[in-house]
Amino acid sequence: MFALRKLLVVGAVVVPMMTLAACGSGGDDQPDAPAASSWQSEIEGGPIEVGVLPATGTPSLAFLEKIADSMATDISGTDVKLTFANTEARPALEQRWRSGDGLDVDYTMFDGTNDALLAWADDGKLLDLLPYLEQEDETTGAPWIDSFSPAVRQFMEHPESKGIYGVPSELSLQVLFYNAKIFKDNGITPPATWDDLTAAATKLKSAGVDPIAVTGLFEPYMGMWTDNLWMRTVGYDKVHEVLIEGKGSITDDPGFLDGLTKMQELRDQGAFLEGFEGTDFTAAQAQFFQGKAGMILMGSWLVSEMKDVIPADFDLGVIAFPTVDGGAGDQAGMMAAAQLMSVNAESENIPLALEWVRRVTSVETQTARAEEIGEVSAVKDVPSPPGLPGIAEVVGSADQLYPAYYGILQSKASEVVYPEIAKLVFGKQDAEETLAALDEGLKRVYGN
Amino acid sequence: MLRKAQRRIIVPFLLPAFVLLALFFLYPLARTVDLSLNEFSRTGSMTFVGTDQYERLVGDPDFMNALKNTFLLTIIGALMLFPPAVTIAWALSHRLRGERFFRFFVFAPVVLSVAVVSIMWKFLYHPTLGLINPALKEVGLGALAKTWLGDPATALAAVTFVSVWHGIGIWVVLLCAGFERLPSDVLEAARIDGAGEVRILFSIMLPMLADLLRMLLVLWVVQSFQAFAFIYIMTGGGPFGSTDTVGTLMYRVAFDQADFGYAAAMGAVLVVLMLVIAKILNKVMKRDELQY
Repeated sequence: MFALRKLLVVGAVVVPMMTLAACGSGGDDQPDAPAASSWQSEIEGGPIEVGVLPATGTPSLAFLEKIADSMATDISGTDVKLTFANTEARPALEQRWRSGDGLDVDYTMFDGTNDALLAWADDGKLLDLLPYLEQEDETTGAPWIDSFSPAVRQFMEHPESKGIYGVPSELSLQVLFYNAKIFKDNGITPPATWDDLTAAATKLKSAGVDPIAVTGLFEPYMGMWTDNLWMRTVGYDKVHEVLIEGKGSITDDPGFLDGLTKMQELRDQGAFLEGFEGTDFTAAQAQFFQGKAGMILMGSWLVSEMKDVIPADFDLGVIAFPTVDGGAGDQAGMMAAAQLMSVNAESENIPLALEWVRRVTSVETQTARAEEIGEVSAVKDVPSPPGLPGIAEVVGSADQLYPAYYGILQSKASEVVYPEIAKLVFGKQDAEETLAALDEGLKRVYGN
Repeated sequence: MLRKAQRRIIVPFLLPAFVLLALFFLYPLARTVDLSLNEFSRTGSMTFVGTDQYERLVGDPDFMNALKNTFLLTIIGALMLFPPAVTIAWALSHRLRGERFFRFFVFAPVVLSVAVVSIMWKFLYHPTLGLINPALKEVGLGALAKTWLGDPATALAAVTFVSVWHGIGIWVVLLCAGFERLPSDVLEAARIDGAGEVRILFSIMLPMLADLLRMLLVLWVVQSFQAFAFIYIMTGGGPFGSTDTVGTLMYRVAFDQADFGYAAAMGAVLVVLMLVIAKILNKVMKRDELQY
């Protein structure tokens, strides 16, 4: 009798809770988007919230604050709130989008090369920017879209609808940075091929310098090495098919094992920073700039991010990832990511949001960002950052920009690929064991 | 049995607590179960899939690994926490010179934020730039130097140690309160009978504190099953999953992969496990109530 009463009480509590829990929230009204031909004449002051990537106190943020101030001066009643929107803030910001309170302008909401990042556009949450980008830009007289490098169009454009849902504020290229002074002092030539790289590593070791700075506490940065190797030994499309689309097996193409074997050789050579296993990425980057390592493979944002710790007399060199002789993949490709700004389709002030995007991507702003902050631009006619010597040649020699990480981080393979690569780099398994583990893991997550 | 009139009086007193419980525990729990029965898109739209997510959990090696690490963290942490906490609390229950300083010294880390403590220890653990390895080398114990956070054999213990170091003050305070309320006449009688302090601790104090220790152990299990922040900041679950707990895996699955239904299923399983373990601990460690 007592148990029955207890059950009734629990039921009386839980059932309404479950019912309440099952109730979803209703949809929001979507304001009309302004006409593409006249959006600039519809700009009115008001509050907008825009996402920014730099952290508080950085020169990059100060730069963006100046743009916000100039908008407030030029357009009466404008109040631009800058909200940190980089990696650590994404979960909270995406929750805001899910609850209908997304930023007016935000990052990482779209990437035309990454299937996992098409969803917001597919669900109508993002404004299709194509009609606005097709309008003539008053400063250049040409359509706004023509100001962007054609190489980044793949990131901006939805692969099916062909709408454009993101505009790049900067471009991040995966390049090999090297300490030019150490190289010169030891008579080492910057490596153009994989064999050059291993030879350079040997010479650096003999000179008492750890050849390569890498972090052991962030697996994707170790994976950056195999990502690039596979681009050279397998080719982007095939790698994408196997790792992201779950088509075929990783054992089918010998280039995968070749890439892993090269990685193992580097490891066996002792090419990585001493204690890299317990070194996080900020420390690894700092150690490179302190001259404790000869090279580091990193995004081109490295210089702007580490601006405050780079010694004034540091002699930096930048080269493309080395080619692999006889590799079946693309020897002139480069891995890149465009930092795309998307506009909220439900923004209360779409014209003002578009104006923010236009100002940030103008040639004038992008040139100043390249010169003052060291950002690589995706806008045409913008000079290369002076803090990245040689980047213009590196970009010029690339025949294709391929999406960084292949989209692994948002895919089902994320719990498989980089942890196995980390085991290889740590010396816990050899190349063949890594291939077998990858094969097993990929088959498990894709069921093929 | 309470009479009807007594029950009527109790209801208004229980109501505020019940409302809070319903709002902050029962509703989120029900919502989590509801989420776990659905599959989500990144934008938040969902499709009912029944118990599919739970079936997926059974064959997921990442979840099993996270579960194993969660249990390991609980056990290693309990071993790191309780012996020193009891010892310190016992020592502080005696009249000591500089007692207030020691109390402050033990409690001080508690007031630091988890992020500050994590970053500080990440630096201390750094293999070449940190303080621990160079100090070990300096005193001739170089063989003990390790890549603490980078070695799967030591990473979990290293993170657990930081979590214990940060929180031990709270546990010491709770234990001190327990020691202080022990009846002084019983302890005095033992001393008159010739029992030494260590004998008194093990034969009188700890048995009398059994209920408190049981409650603290249950609290520790609950706390360590929720472990997230230290691991997220210090290792992110690596190297290769050796510090991944259900909390960190759940976070990645929910927010990196936007698989909220699956993450909710993990959360629901974790709640059930916690309740079961708490129940078992209560049953196994239950002692006859001491009257003093």
